Amino acid sequence: MSAQPPATPGRLDLSGRQYAHVDYDEKERLFEEVKGDLRFDEYLYGCYECGICVASCPSARFYDFSPRKIAQTMAREDVDLFYVFLNDSVWDCSQCFSCDVCPRKNSPGGVITVMREVAVKNGLASAAEALEGYGRVVYKIMSTGTQVSPDMLSANAFPDWGPHVEEIAKNLDVWRRALPPETMHTTETSWQVDDKTIIELYLIWHMTGVMDMIKEVDEGLFMILQDVMEEKLEDAGYDVSFD
Amino acid sequence: MSERPVLVIGGGPAGMEAAKGIAEIGYKAVLVEKRNVLGGTPELANYAALTPDFRDAGEAMAEMAAAVDGDPNVEVVLGSTVTASAGSAGDFKVTVKNSREARELDVGAVVIATGFQHFDPGRETQQYGYYEYDDVLTLVDLEKMLKAGKVVRPSNGEPPKRLCFIQCVGSRDRQIGNEYCSKVCCGVAAKQSIEVRKLVSDCKVFIFYIDMRMYGYWEPEIYWPSQEEYKVNYVKGIATDIRQKNGRLLVRGEDTTMGRPMEVPMDMVVLSVGMEPSAGTREMAKVFGAKQNKYNFIETIDGALNTVSTTVPGVFACGAAVGPADIEDSISSAAAAAMKACAVVRKASMAAG
Repeated sequence: MSAQPPATPGRLDLSGRQYAHVDYDEKERLFEEVKGDLRFDEYLYGCYECGICVASCPSARFYDFSPRKIAQTMAREDVDLFYVFLNDSVWDCSQCFSCDVCPRKNSPGGVITVMREVAVKNGLASAAEALEGYGRVVYKIMSTGTQVSPDMLSANAFPDWGPHVEEIAKNLDVWRRALPPETMHTTETSWQVDDKTIIELYLIWHMTGVMDMIKEVDEGLFMILQDVMEEKLEDAGYDVSFD
Repeated sequence: MSERPVLVIGGGPAGMEAAKGIAEIGYKAVLVEKRNVLGGTPELANYAALTPDFRDAGEAMAEMAAAVDGDPNVEVVLGSTVTASAGSAGDFKVTVKNSREARELDVGAVVIATGFQHFDPGRETQQYGYYEYDDVLTLVDLEKMLKAGKVVRPSNGEPPKRLCFIQCVGSRDRQIGNEYCSKVCCGVAAKQSIEVRKLVSDCKVFIFYIDMRMYGYWEPEIYWPSQEEYKVNYVKGIATDIRQKNGRLLVRGEDTTMGRPMEVPMDMVVLSVGMEPSAGTREMAKVFGAKQNKYNFIETIDGALNTVSTTVPGVFACGAAVGPADIEDSISSAAAAAMKACAVVRKASMAAG
């Protein structure tokens, strides 16, 4: 995230110019929450600081991002540096797990997964900011069970796809019907999702705490999803309250 | 004629193992030790536990000593030194002196097992203030504390909250002249870091290193456990100096893998001092005319394929007399030296008919 414009007040910045004061105890609490995760001990053993994870990391080629530094910061129990990474670097990871090549069998990507979850669960402003651009995608996945749908295609949304996108978008329905599988004759979703599936998905989002996480980072999105889900769930005979 | 004995010089792990080996083959050994006790440096320097298996050092040395002490094929000569030698392979006449008398011995072969001494961090340079600050110690000093079962700051008797090791003190250093790696200090520091963490559970322990040399099984035996179970921090970067500030030691260096300078307070600093040839090793090289290398260890010939033969036929050297060695290495080379020494004695005996 180093390529971003100067930090706004209250936002953490790796360059050290702008720090919102956070008590050490609070940083330590978050650190312990990461370390206390069931998966943590299998994601981090000890770090040789050899750099094989950085060498294999696609994000490291584009960002000032080092899975090695995250692994060694956790291994060394450097609480202050952990907090800096928790607010910034963890969002530069593409979660591809190329770093799993580690000779110590560490998974820096896995450590980052846990750190992201802790950042989100604790409603860190940096997490909300990092996820801001994904609201539309999250809404689509969580409400329909499919990701990028045909009707999201518009020239201004994806300029890099070229001018023909506009042409296709005009007669989207026709283009979709030209596809052989009937399940893909859809425009609002990537493919047909039956009600049983969607109800199960809603229940999963609900029961695994995903809705709570959404509530922490994006209250507005939470409320929209809540409306969509509650109606369908009630129709299906489920009494689910999201409070 | 009957076979002449093999003279083994030095009553440490290598000398004891060589003497025991010679006796087991069925030949005679005379084991000469300068001090009045067997056990060598592990005994002299109060080693608590051996690297890497944490075996009680005193118990291990006592076991080795008992094996040679009770063997009719081994004559143990304590409080004595070898002062002169004449003759050649198969027929050496050596002089062994103690405080009262000199003895002439006819021996067929010689095994020099006179070992090393720990590098004195105050000798060449005061870089780390070993003689200046009470809380700057060496591995040897800490080992003594570990043997006593109590790790405290010498300055105030309090247990340390932060302790660091600085590796390669007196080793791999062109400034000092010791360009070689002392082989054992990485393992010893890792072993001691675990022991410190066991004794002082709230003490943060750091190891500042250039490379960690944890060959073979030391990796899973001490390196990984120290880092993974005992949370010892390994930081690649050597301290440049130590200062005293507000009753603590301030260690300055670079955290190289994090790419930042480092200035960290410590309660205790342990210098991982390396090995140098002992006075005995240097003297025996002179007495027998065995060539020494540029670091004054005894030189072996034929490189990797012969680790114990010196430039003098019939004179062998083993253990840390030929260069830095841990106990496992010393035991192995002692056995090789014993075998070759017995071969010389047997050959001479057969030639004499």
